[in-house]
Amino acid sequence: MEITKEHIYSTDNASLHQCDESEIYELSFSGDTVYFRACELITFKRKIQKIDLATLLSSETPDIEIIHMPHCDRLFALTTHNILELKDLFAGAFTMLELNSVIHKQLIRKVI
Amino acid sequence: MKDILRRHSVLQDEVVDIINKQIKMEAQSSAAYLAMAAWCDKAGYDNCAEHFFKQSDQEREHQMKFFHYLVDMECDAVSPSVGDSQHEFDKLRSVFEKQLEMEIAVTDSIHDMVRVVRKVGDIATEEFLRWFVTEQIEEEYVARRCLELFDVLGEDKVGLGMVEERILDIEYDAGE
Ligand SMILES: [Fe+2]
Repeated sequence: MEITKEHIYSTDNASLHQCDESEIYELSFSGDTVYFRACELITFKRKIQKIDLATLLSSETPDIEIIHMPHCDRLFALTTHNILELKDLFAGAFTMLELNSVIHKQLIRKVI
Repeated sequence: MKDILRRHSVLQDEVVDIINKQIKMEAQSSAAYLAMAAWCDKAGYDNCAEHFFKQSDQEREHQMKFFHYLVDMECDAVSPSVGDSQHEFDKLRSVFEKQLEMEIAVTDSIHDMVRVVRKVGDIATEEFLRWFVTEQIEEEYVARRCLELFDVLGEDKVGLGMVEERILDIEYDAGE
């Protein structure tokens, strides 16, 4: 059976897809793919959002930020550029996901 | 597209943040009360020390209540780091003044939380916070009654002895 992935949002080098079947999110980023369950994605998004670029740029090692993802036990070394891109991606993606929630709330769940 | 997000993210980010902030505040209070208990114990006020040990336990319970709420809602609960507490006081009354000050700060903070959840329309968390609003009425009442003992009994040796004798009897009766 063909598993359909719903496209949520893309930036130049990153994209996020949702698989309805498995309830897994697929993040493609600079040639790498990472899978998340919903709560893990939210955790990751919050970590990215909490990185303060001003602090990062004025620190001793301004070009790299290390993020640990416990769910797949991987470390991501993100450049300032990567972080900017991920911030963009998540801003766009969560707007789409929230919009989808609103549609479900106002239209789909109401009809049931 | 399936609405997976709604199934997993019960609380909004802003609400998770303010609850984590409150978890830290409760942990800080618990640690502060411990330091106050130690001061009282060292100064020979055993009952006052016991009072503050109890307060410290209570703050820990508050912290855990918030913590479990976040975990139950599948949100990220952050185990807080706690800074240094004040260990030195010039006299017994100052310790109780510090208690009232801390409780007022916690009340203000809880009220701010209620305002935030109202703003974002999080009715469930507002309901959850109701318990803390009531709890703070009690905490402030107890802190005020403690200080009143000093006013009534005075701060000479005999007065302080009587404070020590009565401190554990202070209870909130909710107007009964
Ligand atoms: Fe408390």
